[in-house]
Amino acid sequence: MMLAFRSDLPLRKTAAGHFVQWLVMVLVFMAALAATVHAYTDGLLTHWNRSVVGTLTVQIPPPAAENATPAASTSDAVTAALGALKTHPAVATANLIPRGKVLELLEPWLGSGAAVSDLPLPALIDVQLRDNDASAAAAVGKALSAAVPTAIVDDHRVWLSRLTNLAEGVGVVALTLMAMISGALALTVIFATRASLAEFVQVIEVLHLVGAKDDYIAGQFARRALSQGIIGGLCGLMLYVPTLGVIAWLGSRVERGMLPDITLPLTLWLTLAALPFVAGLLAMATAHMTVRRTLRTMM
Amino acid sequence: MALIRKKNAGFTGDTVQLDGVALRYDTGRDVFKALTLNLPQKSFYFLTGPSGAGKTSLLSLLYLAMRPAEGTLRLFGEDVTLASRTRLAELRRKLGVVFQDFRLLDHLSAFDNVALPLRVAGIGEAAVRRDVSELLKWVGLADLMDARPAILSGGQKQRVAIARAVVNRPSLILADEPTGNVDDKIAVRLIQLFVELHKLGSSVVVATHNESLTARFPFPRLHLENGTLSVLPPQVGAETG
Repeated sequence: MMLAFRSDLPLRKTAAGHFVQWLVMVLVFMAALAATVHAYTDGLLTHWNRSVVGTLTVQIPPPAAENATPAASTSDAVTAALGALKTHPAVATANLIPRGKVLELLEPWLGSGAAVSDLPLPALIDVQLRDNDASAAAAVGKALSAAVPTAIVDDHRVWLSRLTNLAEGVGVVALTLMAMISGALALTVIFATRASLAEFVQVIEVLHLVGAKDDYIAGQFARRALSQGIIGGLCGLMLYVPTLGVIAWLGSRVERGMLPDITLPLTLWLTLAALPFVAGLLAMATAHMTVRRTLRTMM
Repeated sequence: MALIRKKNAGFTGDTVQLDGVALRYDTGRDVFKALTLNLPQKSFYFLTGPSGAGKTSLLSLLYLAMRPAEGTLRLFGEDVTLASRTRLAELRRKLGVVFQDFRLLDHLSAFDNVALPLRVAGIGEAAVRRDVSELLKWVGLADLMDARPAILSGGQKQRVAIARAVVNRPSLILADEPTGNVDDKIAVRLIQLFVELHKLGSSVVVATHNESLTARFPFPRLHLENGTLSVLPPQVGAETG
């Protein structure tokens, strides 16, 4: 087998060794999930950014007065608003979103019954700005309020910046989780290696007596840790694949409007493929260092 | 034996030099104080003395498992108290040690036990295979190369331990009671084995209680008693007349 090394120490049979393999499996599984959440959040943000950058949504609320004729008064306000918007130099296009489309947008939350179509819904105008800057949006808002005082301007930058904060927060949490997982892996390898060193102290003494250098002994522990890391990591990925499948399936059952389709990037798949090897290398380096340090206190 | 060759051909001084060496246990008790001794190259000594006199401790010093509490120990002209861990490992490769309790690794076959000194020295597997097979044949264990120590008799284990001690063509062979578990006939054969290695250029120190052995072979004795070491002449003739 590729990962089988000739060893003078019976490291294959140690309980500590098996423990490392199991733990690496769990840690790599968690790291893979953290990386996926990070990539998904990032993708979601890019998706939203692409959809709303340089746009405003103008709401013309239905009249509150009971005796007003809703359709007539909203229609006047919409005409006035469209007039003000289309003549504004910062506006590229301004289009009224048809009522049917508005109902479609609300469908995931409110359903599609006859009662919904009777609701006094605001008229929505989709505005594309020539430039994506805050001052243009403010100027458009000001001109619009002068023409239609009841109009409400949704500048998507506000909620987008909150979502960006959320996504960045998730990113920091994911990275922290990765750092904690790496730390947990290193600590596990340190304790397992120390346990093995204590178990094989007499074998190590004999190796020293026949002329083994510390590097030779440390190398045997390190190679074992490498193989445990890689095997445990591959098992972790094998656990991750069906888990991702289940989450993707559950996601596909959610209404399209609520959870957009995000294509996970190639970098994520490359990161995931590298995880078992990173875990193996980390375990190897930790084992090597631990053995060298401990041997210095021995014969 | 063709396997033995001198590794430190350039070195011409004494193999071992002890100068005012003291050895102390962790408890603070002195094993011995101020030992001074020079063992020339290609010498053969028996190490004798009553039980508890410190023979095993003296050998431990020589095979670098312990360090002197005081004084200077030179092996092949090199002061071991100043040597780094890596250098100590390199010095140990010039030694062949037969332990009283053999110290074979139970999870390895006879072949792998004997191969250990070669493998830790980074010798290629083809050379390991050739040298170890030849040596195991030489000690009469050709049929037991794959056997684990657990199924070997005391005498067979002893031969594996000796093969491991000499496979690396050591300049200094240290044997701690190598005849302790065998009858006199086998004991004589084992000492004859060391004599052959000695003739091929190795220095040899054999710690033993067995006076009939020291009386049979014409080698001087290092006698350790009450913390002092004295060199006694060969005992040959004392028993056999």
